[in-house]
Amino acid sequence: MKFKKTAALLSAAVLLVGCSTGGSGGGESGDDVTLTYSLWDENQLPAYQSCTDAFTEKTGIKVEITQSAWDDYWQNITTDLVTGTAPDVITDHVQYYPELADNGQLLDISSYVEADGIDLDQYTGGLADLWVKDGARYGLPQDWDTVALVYNVAAAEAAGYTADDFANLTWNPTDGGTFGKAIAHMSIDKNGVRGDEPGFDKNNVQTYGWTLETGGGVVGQSQWSWSALSTGFEYLDKNPFGTKYQLDDQRLIDTLTWWQNQIAAGYVVPREQAGQLGLVPEMEQNIGAMVSDGSWRITTWAESTAQEFAFAPLPEGPEGRVTIINGLAPSITASTKHPDEAWQLVKFIGSTECQNLVADTGVVFPAITSAAERSDEVRTSKGIDAQVFLDEALAEGGTAYYPITLHATEVNNEAQAVIDEIQELKVTPAEALPALNDRINAILEG
Amino acid sequence: MKNKPRITVSRLIERIVLVFLLLITVFPFFWMLRTAFVANANIFSDSMSLIPKEPTIVNFKRVLGLSTTEESLAAGGNGQQLDFFLYLGNSLLFTAVVVACQVTFSALAAYTFSRLRFRGRDALFTVFLSGMMIPPIFSMLPNFALVRSLGWIDSFAGILAPYLLITPFAIFFLRQFFLGISREVEEAARIDGAGRFQILTRIVLPMASGPLTTLAIIQAVGAWNEYMWPQLVGRDDSVKLLNVAVAAFAKSSPNSQPDWAGLMAAASLQVIPMLILLIIFGKKIVSSLGFSGVK
Amino acid sequence: MKPTLMKAPPNRATWRSSDVPTALLYLTPALLGFAVFYAWPLFRGVQISLTDWNLLSPAEWIGAANYQKLFTDPLFWNALKVTAIYVVVNIGSQMILGLGIAVLMQRLRIGTGTQSAILLPWLIPNVTVAIVTLFMLDPNVGFVNEVLDYIGASTHSFYGNSDLAIYTIALVNTWRNMGYTALLFYAGIQTISPDLYEAAALDGASGWRSFWSITLPMLRPITALILVVSMIGSFQIFDTVSVATDGGPGNATRVIYFYIYQKSFEELNMGYGAAMAVVLFALIFTFSLLQLRALRATESDVN
Repeated sequence: MKFKKTAALLSAAVLLVGCSTGGSGGGESGDDVTLTYSLWDENQLPAYQSCTDAFTEKTGIKVEITQSAWDDYWQNITTDLVTGTAPDVITDHVQYYPELADNGQLLDISSYVEADGIDLDQYTGGLADLWVKDGARYGLPQDWDTVALVYNVAAAEAAGYTADDFANLTWNPTDGGTFGKAIAHMSIDKNGVRGDEPGFDKNNVQTYGWTLETGGGVVGQSQWSWSALSTGFEYLDKNPFGTKYQLDDQRLIDTLTWWQNQIAAGYVVPREQAGQLGLVPEMEQNIGAMVSDGSWRITTWAESTAQEFAFAPLPEGPEGRVTIINGLAPSITASTKHPDEAWQLVKFIGSTECQNLVADTGVVFPAITSAAERSDEVRTSKGIDAQVFLDEALAEGGTAYYPITLHATEVNNEAQAVIDEIQELKVTPAEALPALNDRINAILEG
Repeated sequence: MKNKPRITVSRLIERIVLVFLLLITVFPFFWMLRTAFVANANIFSDSMSLIPKEPTIVNFKRVLGLSTTEESLAAGGNGQQLDFFLYLGNSLLFTAVVVACQVTFSALAAYTFSRLRFRGRDALFTVFLSGMMIPPIFSMLPNFALVRSLGWIDSFAGILAPYLLITPFAIFFLRQFFLGISREVEEAARIDGAGRFQILTRIVLPMASGPLTTLAIIQAVGAWNEYMWPQLVGRDDSVKLLNVAVAAFAKSSPNSQPDWAGLMAAASLQVIPMLILLIIFGKKIVSSLGFSGVK
Repeated sequence: MKPTLMKAPPNRATWRSSDVPTALLYLTPALLGFAVFYAWPLFRGVQISLTDWNLLSPAEWIGAANYQKLFTDPLFWNALKVTAIYVVVNIGSQMILGLGIAVLMQRLRIGTGTQSAILLPWLIPNVTVAIVTLFMLDPNVGFVNEVLDYIGASTHSFYGNSDLAIYTIALVNTWRNMGYTALLFYAGIQTISPDLYEAAALDGASGWRSFWSITLPMLRPITALILVVSMIGSFQIFDTVSVATDGGPGNATRVIYFYIYQKSFEELNMGYGAAMAVVLFALIFTFSLLQLRALRATESDVN
């Protein structure tokens, strides 16, 4: 009967395992509350750890932070929400919150905000308004980010450019302006011939003038959004919560066609190489000399030991210089058992006290303008000059919002495939973008 | 002695082809192991030498969580670590339970279908067998909904449930074998008063130890390879399988260079147990796998 | 050798009623498993496919709308096409290489040591294989490209180029499975009576000739079996895509499993995912029936 016993033991073991791991969580009593809080950026983890430590000291409410990388993070949140095991407070993105809010997954905090008299004007760039949908509020801004140019100082000097030259670049989709000339000039083939000189061998390039960062979905936030926006292009008929994308806009077609021409000319790292390498190594190995990037990676560039990098404002386009300004916010999940404590945490993250702690790490720009300036001082004291990001954020008419709609994941997946194909020179923007626009708008309707 | 292979040009070519095949089979694993001993900072400068120029074990320390974050950042990693032994334990538990249950339950079912007599037996067997045609992705959606409503997400119960009770292929496989073995011994035992269960455990199963081993190996390799379902329902660290953890580690930093050295160290740690298994049991595995197609 | 369905002894009228309780007892796990994880999902899957359901809000009945959408979704058809390319390349190369290795094993009388070395990749999970080959084939540091560069050939981004990616994935998985396939063929070859070869040799047939006129025909039943089993597995390609390419570049490796997974669990469009799964099931079902018929045909051919 050994057999039967084994089988019985086994099934018992399986059941036990199942039960013991299945029923965890819940059951705290009184003021011994532990909140769970999630974020994705490992660079920001220390900043928010010190923030939540201060919060625990102040309120006695414990906070457990979980961090996972961007892709994994959203998959985790999705699965957790679906199974009702989501963290109490999540770091949220404007791209994803409308869908979650629409499905009743997030807590409306507007009554808390009102009761506690939070001053929404203290946050930079009017970002607080982005977190309101149908009259309900789903977050308080914690930080903001803008996009600027990053360039390799040695490569720039070798090409004969000064910091001043970079500060005054212009761009347009017809001839590329001085920016177009710069990325051609900074491209060097294996024989040392520059991209704007006769005999440039585009199939054997040593250093490309422009670096390709793959991804970016429909927005291309750090990749190409600034060029399209500087022509007057707008993603949506209305932002936030437009109902139609305008990707068939001739200005976007012209912009992406210009970029495609640069790729064909050998001035941009080819997609198939870039896709396997990633942005940072491309720049650190001097495969690419220049790129546009978001302020969330300031420290990566400034503290790189491989190369010396510097920041410059975005080129000025036909309609001026435009950057996307965007920010993150903590949202409370609707399934939380401790809404009041969770609000206290959200409120604390949105307060000067926490944002000053974040500022002291210098990794991001906190949402409150005074804290953002403080973070800039912290960086300056470390010898990092990232003033351009702040200047752009505060420039009148120089910022645009991230396109905010429902069904963002689906829209991005659709768009990413087409952007890939454009970068691979498989399709032209003129033929691909109108078709993409139709598909995306069908998704928004459905 | 006409069976003795003659040394001819064609024999030589055959040998060369075989050596080449062996090389492309084994070389990637050697390269993986080699790279695991190269510091990330040297990945580019030392990308061709057969033996690392400056061998280091820092990658293994990193992956096993034995090094400090500073140390791993200095080695060119992204500071991510892998709680290797936890995930290895989870994977071993998963594989063991899956194999034990599948072999046990399939043997019971196969025996029933090959020896017992009842109305509708062959029809039922055909129905079970047709289950093989249902693509796993098809059942995955309803299964996810089911496991979710049972509250089994992020638990071993949820990860294991769909695998345990029935495996059409295994039933088919064992039934084929049971049908092929003589019943005379069984009949004799029956006359001596042995019950069904005794006949199964004392006579049929020992005779079937060969195919049972084969089945166990095939199912173990299958379970060890499982990824799609476990990564959907087992994302929590306490139940995360090694495959899921390693894949997440690989995808953890999309915009910096993949942590090749760390990844190769992690992969090596995953391959080494299999290598040891193969060195010890290779003969057994190879000879028993031959069973699966023929019998 | 009987690689095909054996018939159980006839279920004669003399069936012992005492068998029924035992049969029920022994079949309980399987019956339960079949009911919960095969039969019920079959029903639920079809049901879900007729709804709009994102797992967060209650499902909404929308009839055949998901199916209508599917017929006009270029990405669905693309996924089927990419999967078909994968299956053909993977199964084709795997069968040819597997058979080739098996014949080499027999002709060179190689020992189990070598055999187990060839089996090694099969023991390694797809996830790990994807990671190791991503590194080997990397355009910047990968060994293969370093070698290509060294001998003056042009280098390639095997996983990152949309013209190559799906072939790369197919061949990588062939690399993983060919040892196992070879062992199955080898087992089949060993059951062929040596007398046949000796007779052929006496008739003056060359090795090549006896391969075509003896080995291949004798292996037909087992070839059919390996084909069916590998084909079912090949359709399920997901892991390598998920780890190595994420369906890209563009839609170049967005195979049907990955697309259904993405729609269902990333975009939480369960209804649409289920509808695609239903169509996939119908396709595979038809395909398997055709194959089984072909299998029966070969069976009667040999007998």
